[in-house]
Amino acid sequence: MRPLTEEESKAVFTKLANYIGKNLVHLIDRPDEPYCFRLQKDRVYYVSESSMRLGISVARPNLVSLGTCFGKFSKSGKFKLHITALDYLAQYAKFKVWIKPNGEMPFLYGNHIVKAHLGRITEDTPEHQGVVVFSMSDIPLGFGVTARSTVDTRKLDPTAIIVFHQADVGEYLRDEETLF
Amino acid sequence: MDVTSILDAQKAKQQNVTVEKETPLEIDAGHLMVSDLNPIDEESYNENLEDHLRALARDGTQALLAALFSLPTQKSADGPLAQLPARTYQLPRQKQLPKPKPPTKWERFAAAKGISHVKRDKKEWDEERQEWVNRWGKDGKNRRVEEQWLTEVKRNADTDHNPQLAARHERKERIAKNEKQHLANLARASGSSASGPSSRKAELEKSIATTRASTASMGKFDRKLDGEKKLRGVKRKFDPAERSVVDEQKSALKLIGSMDSDARKMRKAPRENEEGSVNARKAIRFASKGKGAASMAGGETRGKSSFAKGKKGGRR
Repeated sequence: MRPLTEEESKAVFTKLANYIGKNLVHLIDRPDEPYCFRLQKDRVYYVSESSMRLGISVARPNLVSLGTCFGKFSKSGKFKLHITALDYLAQYAKFKVWIKPNGEMPFLYGNHIVKAHLGRITEDTPEHQGVVVFSMSDIPLGFGVTARSTVDTRKLDPTAIIVFHQADVGEYLRDEETLF
Repeated sequence: MDVTSILDAQKAKQQNVTVEKETPLEIDAGHLMVSDLNPIDEESYNENLEDHLRALARDGTQALLAALFSLPTQKSADGPLAQLPARTYQLPRQKQLPKPKPPTKWERFAAAKGISHVKRDKKEWDEERQEWVNRWGKDGKNRRVEEQWLTEVKRNADTDHNPQLAARHERKERIAKNEKQHLANLARASGSSASGPSSRKAELEKSIATTRASTASMGKFDRKLDGEKKLRGVKRKFDPAERSVVDEQKSALKLIGSMDSDARKMRKAPRENEEGSVNARKAIRFASKGKGAASMAGGETRGKSSFAKGKKGGRR
């Protein structure tokens, strides 16, 4: 376990800022207890300070996971957000997309969201913006990237993709082995 | 017509040309330097520092200029030049005193054994010839065997044996040995930074290591030869895991602040287009149907004359 270097922090923060924007400071500067990011075996964990200090006593080969896994770094240094970060993203999301009940299942199986399944979308969502996907009953289902901005979405036909799938809660079952 | 009052008024406005001080100012015209050794006047120092310093500087400069104007002059194209006298103030050394050379190998040995240096002359008394001969140089004794016209050779000597060449070879070897020892002494004196064979070995190993990584897979999947050592990478240094979270928060917030700013270094994506501006790249791609701007140049006539390439278009 070690703290992130400057470059790694930059990569993680840019990725997170894509989804939660200015609310990133809420992740770093919390009122209740200080939380920090730690790297263990290429995975980035968001962990409270007390848990982190407990985790220091565990030897590196024995330490599997601690806190919340936000994502992992690829071999070439790119950071990929995992579904396990959804709780925090959903809390602080800037741009949200709600999908209709009949569109939930395709999304949870890993497909992209088409316009026909779109229930609501926040106004002024630009193109290629990170969004969090909710069901109509405000349950976070995953996150993705918009394919078109809100204004362009109105002109599209119902089978056009509007949100590219990045992660969904179905991955907890599908990618059980690789997730933590 | 009494002009003295006007002159006095004018003079009162300007400051005194002559400078009077308790201890007279020491002027070193050679260095163009004035030293004021008077104790500092506390009142004016505390009252207004700038004015006090300015007054001191003004007095010193006035004295220096008065001294300069009293020097002997010399005519030149630009006007009279004052000839500066010799310098009295001694400036300190610019560079350090040279360090003594470390003793050479022979000097160390001689010092240990107690051998003192015997000075030898170029000429030596040769008893046979009863004359002074050179030890080295023109007609030197060291070249006697090479230069003599007849050399006696042993009965069992090899037919190829050339005494002249043999003598020359020996002399050259002696010279080379002396050179080598001299270089070794110099290297030792210069701090033994590059000790001949070991530095060369280090150089070779470094280039071998570079070569091993200069493959398509950066040396990761290449087979190792027998006797090759494992390549060691540079050990990276990370912050300790028990680093204070407060420090981490501060640096993280600073990083976020620089990310949000307009500073060019942090901006990964190009700045958002202003209202009404056109994305030129996309426009060209659309207009040229993916072929690029070059195909669009002079493409009007070409486009119209080329036949449609549909399913059944083009040459049949």
